[in-house]
Amino acid sequence: MIALTALTELTLSRHNPLVDPHLHIWEWQIPVYLFFGGLVAGLMIIAGVRLISLRPQQREALVCCTIGPLMGLVFLSLGMFTLFLDLSHRLYVWRLYTTFQITSPMSWGSWILLLVYPALSANALAHLPEAVPSLAKRFPILVTVSDAILARVQWVVGIGVANVMVGIALGIYTGILLGTLGARPLWNSAILGPLFLFSGLSTATALLHGILVVTTPDEERPAFADFLLSALAQLTQARPLDRNIAPVLARADNSFLTIELTLIGLFLLGQMTSTGIHQQAASLLLTGPFAAVFWVFVIGLGILLPLVLQSLELNNRIRHTIAPVILVLFGGIALRFILVYAGQQSHWFQPLN
Amino acid sequence: MNNVEHSAKPYWNPYLSGFGLGLVLLASFVIMGRGLGASGAINAFVATAMHQLAPEHVEKSAYYAEYLGDGVHSPLKDWLVFEVLGVFVGGFLSGVLANRLKFRVEKGPRMTNPLRLLFAFIGGALMIIGARIALGCTSGQALTGGSLLNVGSWIFMMCVFGGAYAVAYFFRKQWI
Amino acid sequence: MNAPFYKFGLFGDEASLIIAFVIGIGFGFFLERAGFGSGRKLAAQFYFRDLSVLKVMFTAIITAMTGLYLLSRLGFVDLSLVYLVPTFVVPQIVGGLLLGIGFVIGGYCPGTSCVSSVTGSIDGMVYVAGMIVGLVGFAEVYPSMQSYVQMTPMGQITLARLFNLPYGLLVFAVVLMALAAFAAAEWAEKKVTGTSPDPKGSITGGPWRMTPVRILATGLAAAGFVALIAGDPYRGSRASIDTRDLAIRVGKGVDKVQATQLADWIIQGRNDFKLVDLRSEHDFDAYHIPTAQDLPLASLAPDFAAHNDRIILYSGDGTEAAQAWFLLEAQGFKNVYLLDGGLRAWQNIVLFPQKSAGTDPAVFAKQVEVAKYFGGAPREEGTSPAASVAVALPKLAAPAQPPVPAGNSSNTQPKKKKEGC
Repeated sequence: MIALTALTELTLSRHNPLVDPHLHIWEWQIPVYLFFGGLVAGLMIIAGVRLISLRPQQREALVCCTIGPLMGLVFLSLGMFTLFLDLSHRLYVWRLYTTFQITSPMSWGSWILLLVYPALSANALAHLPEAVPSLAKRFPILVTVSDAILARVQWVVGIGVANVMVGIALGIYTGILLGTLGARPLWNSAILGPLFLFSGLSTATALLHGILVVTTPDEERPAFADFLLSALAQLTQARPLDRNIAPVLARADNSFLTIELTLIGLFLLGQMTSTGIHQQAASLLLTGPFAAVFWVFVIGLGILLPLVLQSLELNNRIRHTIAPVILVLFGGIALRFILVYAGQQSHWFQPLN
Repeated sequence: MNNVEHSAKPYWNPYLSGFGLGLVLLASFVIMGRGLGASGAINAFVATAMHQLAPEHVEKSAYYAEYLGDGVHSPLKDWLVFEVLGVFVGGFLSGVLANRLKFRVEKGPRMTNPLRLLFAFIGGALMIIGARIALGCTSGQALTGGSLLNVGSWIFMMCVFGGAYAVAYFFRKQWI
Repeated sequence: MNAPFYKFGLFGDEASLIIAFVIGIGFGFFLERAGFGSGRKLAAQFYFRDLSVLKVMFTAIITAMTGLYLLSRLGFVDLSLVYLVPTFVVPQIVGGLLLGIGFVIGGYCPGTSCVSSVTGSIDGMVYVAGMIVGLVGFAEVYPSMQSYVQMTPMGQITLARLFNLPYGLLVFAVVLMALAAFAAAEWAEKKVTGTSPDPKGSITGGPWRMTPVRILATGLAAAGFVALIAGDPYRGSRASIDTRDLAIRVGKGVDKVQATQLADWIIQGRNDFKLVDLRSEHDFDAYHIPTAQDLPLASLAPDFAAHNDRIILYSGDGTEAAQAWFLLEAQGFKNVYLLDGGLRAWQNIVLFPQKSAGTDPAVFAKQVEVAKYFGGAPREEGTSPAASVAVALPKLAAPAQPPVPAGNSSNTQPKKKKEGC
């Protein structure tokens, strides 16, 4: 009886952040890490698929083969750093690599992340001389390595397949990381894995699309944005990028966004047809305190508006701009922030009122 | 992307766009029981930003107190903030559809860019102060209050036009 | 259907934010369509070159105004629930002049600057920055100005109430005035720029054929004329009562609030109700229950409060309160209550409680506390209530809140921020 009272008291007061200041155990680091994780997964898959399906000459012109994996390495490091910031015992981070626990997503994640680096690096090295010519001039060995990789078809295919596989694993893992935390009913859904994978794919596609748009010379482009342009153009040596790829990326992004929207619908549908606790958790997003930000930021600004803008671009109604790109990236961050924060407010024990 | 028309389309007829605007305002009355606004969102934004930068100062201030609310909900979770967010989206959609997206400085031919930007800055500061004193700007007072036959709004509207026409002569170089 | 939907609780605060976003999209879209993303086009208004600002603004005003009038008159919208920004005459004159001057200098108003900056105008972005800096500065000087910005308050008041004219007549007058202003604007544009207006886009120019613009102008004029003859748009200006429902409620006594309960509410500082004193001003000044507002029976206009406000009525012995209760029920107010026993019960039970044989001492002790709070005192055992009337009523109690100013629903939800712009 006493225990029950204590439990009730605990669950009651847990809804008051002043009584229990550790209600939000996960702060901004986790959603930012999940965002970078998804983005890197998307970049890996796209770069991997390109590596497998295109001839080297075609690839050279493609931003997703040359600059994509390089950016993936940067974002992965940023993501790992935020994850590291989140750890309570930072000095013991190496201990994650002394064991493999098959039931622990943390363990899976740390090993997957370890595979991401070599796969991405190999992918980046294949086209590094084209991506950053100035670097290749200073270090001729890079050209040698690149030539060595490209000379062997099975190596190229192997790197491509590895990138796709590890990318899919990484993307799904960022969702499963939440899904396996049984204590938070909002996250109890296997759909979170594919949802985060496709959201990651859409953000990665958008990012590549954005780079393509800003690096493409356009006489109509205003002088105001020149500094941004020239910085990126220098990085990529203003290679005349294939203009036809922009519609392809926009179309791919639209597909990913549509799948993402469907998965969000399935996720919510699954929650609403589950137990009362799960329904209550889902209503945090549908009608509760997160409803406004969820519908406006994630669905409206993050998915529907870029879908409309990119469809207009594809129909040649409007020019390709970076607006949908920024919106998709923003929507990807918003989705993860809202799911992480709302999830932490969902409980098995609802306050008695 | 090559076959996109590059010239800006002409603006809509003022009466027809005014009719559209009026229908949006009417929808706001019917659905929400309130009109449109703009300057209030800037208030919420500034209150939140200042609260982050100088929490102690802001909590003591009589001015910010009414925008910080109950301390549980963010002042940014406000009707006007979301409405203004929509204004940005709607403006962008209309602009991109009519091919009017362009980095530019709006001014008359006899005006220099730096001076125009300085004036824009001063005008913005003056205007928000005026809007605070009058409890509303052209959207919240003139448009909304005007259609509700609000006494203060009609006084305000006459003064806006009066003030603007009174000083327009001195700033003619900026615009014509 | 009952509109405004939000005020009738059809959806909550979270949903209202999503609706705000959608309404905002419409707002921004039409502002940009009209060309209000261009500071040069906006400023041309003040040089009589392009009077789009006047045309767009007044078309929007008369569209929304006539639309709201018609929907209210048909009973679809409860006009009393649409929020009115309170009037403060001097601040609104000063603020308006400042805004006008700022408009010519800056080239935008707050709403149009958003549209302008998002379509790439750098001066629009700088203008927004100016607003932010201006506001930070204003917040610092605000404490010394606080009394000035609340000068000359008139409450939430429409032109119809100010001039004591029919609402519909004013609607008609504003429509006529706007149409005349449009004709004058087209004439001025022609004079200043020397070009004749585009016949398809203007009301006056060109041959007299029906164009969309002229159909719109005719429609608005017709709506204004309907307003002139169709009567008062406020709900309940004509009475209709469900007598059976009313009889049942009176029979159950759910229409009454006990004096002790009211005392508790006042002590708790609850302000989700309006306490209305129906006696004469003279009696009100002599004594009234703290937080009450004086409102003699004759001045109970249908728009004295929002229809879903909780209103508690009292008078000396209850007769006027009961009459007012029927009047307000007929006018469509949903939550009207009577103070049971009127001011007399308040005196006998709250101010000067008497200990009778059967009273629990603890309960009585609480009554004494309450009495002291309101400046009263317990009565000796055995004194008759009639004698106590001779006991001087307390001076207005210090801890009580000042009387609520007459007006609309601004005080019903204390934590809610201002709805104004």
